[in-house]
Amino acid sequence: MTAALTGTPAPRAARKPRLTRWVLRLHRPALYAWAGLLVALTALLLGLRGPLADAAAEGWRQYNACPGTARCSYDQDAILRYKDYYDYATVALNALPMLVAGWAGAALIGRELESGTALLAWTQGTPPARWLAVRLAVPAIAVAAGAALLSWLHHLAWNAGRGRIDTAKDWYDRFTFYAGGPTAVVLALAGLAAGVLAGLVLRRTLPALLAGMVATAALRGMTEIALPHLWPAVTRVSTTDQGPLGAGLGVDEGVVTRSGARLPVPACHTEAQCRAAYADISGRWSTYHPYSHHWPLQLTTSALVLAVTALLALGSFLVLRRSTGAPRSVEKATA
Amino acid sequence: MSSDAALRADALGKRFGRRGGWALRDCSFRLPAGRVCAVVGPNGAGKSTLLALAAGLTAPTEGSVTVLGTTPAAARPRVGFVAQDKPLYPQLTIAETLRMGADLNPEHWDAAVAEQVVTGGGLDPKARIRSLSGGQRTRVALALAVGKRPELLLLDEPMADLDPLARHELMGTLMAQAAQYGTTIVMSSHVVAELEDSCDHLLLVGGGRIRLSGEIDELLAAHLRVTGAADAGGLDAATVVESRVTGRQLTALVRPAGPLPGDWRTSAPSLEELILAHLRNPGAPALHEESAA
Repeated sequence: MTAALTGTPAPRAARKPRLTRWVLRLHRPALYAWAGLLVALTALLLGLRGPLADAAAEGWRQYNACPGTARCSYDQDAILRYKDYYDYATVALNALPMLVAGWAGAALIGRELESGTALLAWTQGTPPARWLAVRLAVPAIAVAAGAALLSWLHHLAWNAGRGRIDTAKDWYDRFTFYAGGPTAVVLALAGLAAGVLAGLVLRRTLPALLAGMVATAALRGMTEIALPHLWPAVTRVSTTDQGPLGAGLGVDEGVVTRSGARLPVPACHTEAQCRAAYADISGRWSTYHPYSHHWPLQLTTSALVLAVTALLALGSFLVLRRSTGAPRSVEKATA
Repeated sequence: MSSDAALRADALGKRFGRRGGWALRDCSFRLPAGRVCAVVGPNGAGKSTLLALAAGLTAPTEGSVTVLGTTPAAARPRVGFVAQDKPLYPQLTIAETLRMGADLNPEHWDAAVAEQVVTGGGLDPKARIRSLSGGQRTRVALALAVGKRPELLLLDEPMADLDPLARHELMGTLMAQAAQYGTTIVMSSHVVAELEDSCDHLLLVGGGRIRLSGEIDELLAAHLRVTGAADAGGLDAATVVESRVTGRQLTALVRPAGPLPGDWRTSAPSLEELILAHLRNPGAPALHEESAA
């Protein structure tokens, strides 16, 4: 190592390498697009929370006050407008992780490897690992900050309609769940990490774009499958003549026999069959998550996705080290 | 390990994919510091692979490469590299590209040299990279590599798309660099004439192996072009690289081990003859004129 030290020319000025400004400069169009999307969605969500929710709630109040079968006058447009705009905002927040993954795979990493500018960057005075670290950290901050703001506003907008608008989505509606909490933020970060890894592995723009999006969609799908099991569920038992049990995110349900055994709902097709099947049944049971489980489920899902994100980021550094770094044989040779 | 070798390969090999062919195999050579080295060979010979290994852009499959006395990764801040297709960020201007060079090489950036290379071509610093021609991009890529003030400069086909005037001028800039700062320059080409005047060291790569390596003067001195009667004999003591019979006359390129019999007319081969003879005859034994290593 002495050879390396004596061979280095004396530093002219003790300056630090500046990589962040170049990531921002190279991806200025994406930064502007993200800022524009943030402004538009913020305006939409604030509108949903305030005037749009109020108008729709007033419409429902008029409708519910209608007497029986007589002709009724109520503000149907306000109700539909709230529903439509709520859907737009929710779809946008659900698509965000895939959007980030596609951008990261294609524009952030894949294009640099395909055009060779990554080689240019890796042969400057800063190590490739730093190149990658900046390309993960700077977008992560921008994405996390923006997604946090949007998901908080989405939760407020949803809350504004809750109990006032009859067609408002339940908390366990899957699109609502993944738009209005920390899961929206961590899924966007997972999209970033998945896109970066896809770009580094595939080294080409279009395949990385597709692979990043597919991987992120698959991760989202897996969290949906796992969701009911990420917090201890509540089980309620009722008699057959009672009404439906507590509403929430269902896990499982069935019937209770007179001896107290819990069975799945029996299958029957004719009246005689059903009478026979239900002869011994005294009640129902259901296992589900009530609304009080909303935040615990948000947090456990977020922790799970965050762990996957960390693994994806670690994988990116390993792939980068394999393609640029020194393998063990070289280290040994010069040791 | 001697610290005066700028670049050293020991049984270096690189294979792409687990079942792919070897791009480079069993390469051993040593390039002393301060030399201007030509890496010559036909297309697909492994020149770019060799330079990418030295720049730490890919890992060897077997063997090792030592750059400035350390690993390619550790040497990276002291090595300049220009890839064959001269990648640059198309959305930046020339001035921005050079500013980026300054920001990414904070400890040893020479803005004056970089600007000199760019302005030498009459380029407008405000021009965007995407608006430049191939030769103009080469100039900016070289400016970025030279501005880093490297100890070792690796250039993959640097002059390929430059006009003769620009080639002459840029070669002059590079040589001035090498002379002033003792920079070791390694440049690949398949055009021998392009390098003959400026290089003093040669690496001939063919079929993924090093065919010739050493000082150009010593390599030339080790070979003779001989002509004589086809049945004269007496060449057994020399290594015959290539021989051709025209009628009753035999012309050959040989490496004599001792004095040849008097009935052979001998002359010194040109560098191009030497290289072509070795490329045409892959079976000829390799020569490494670097016993000092």
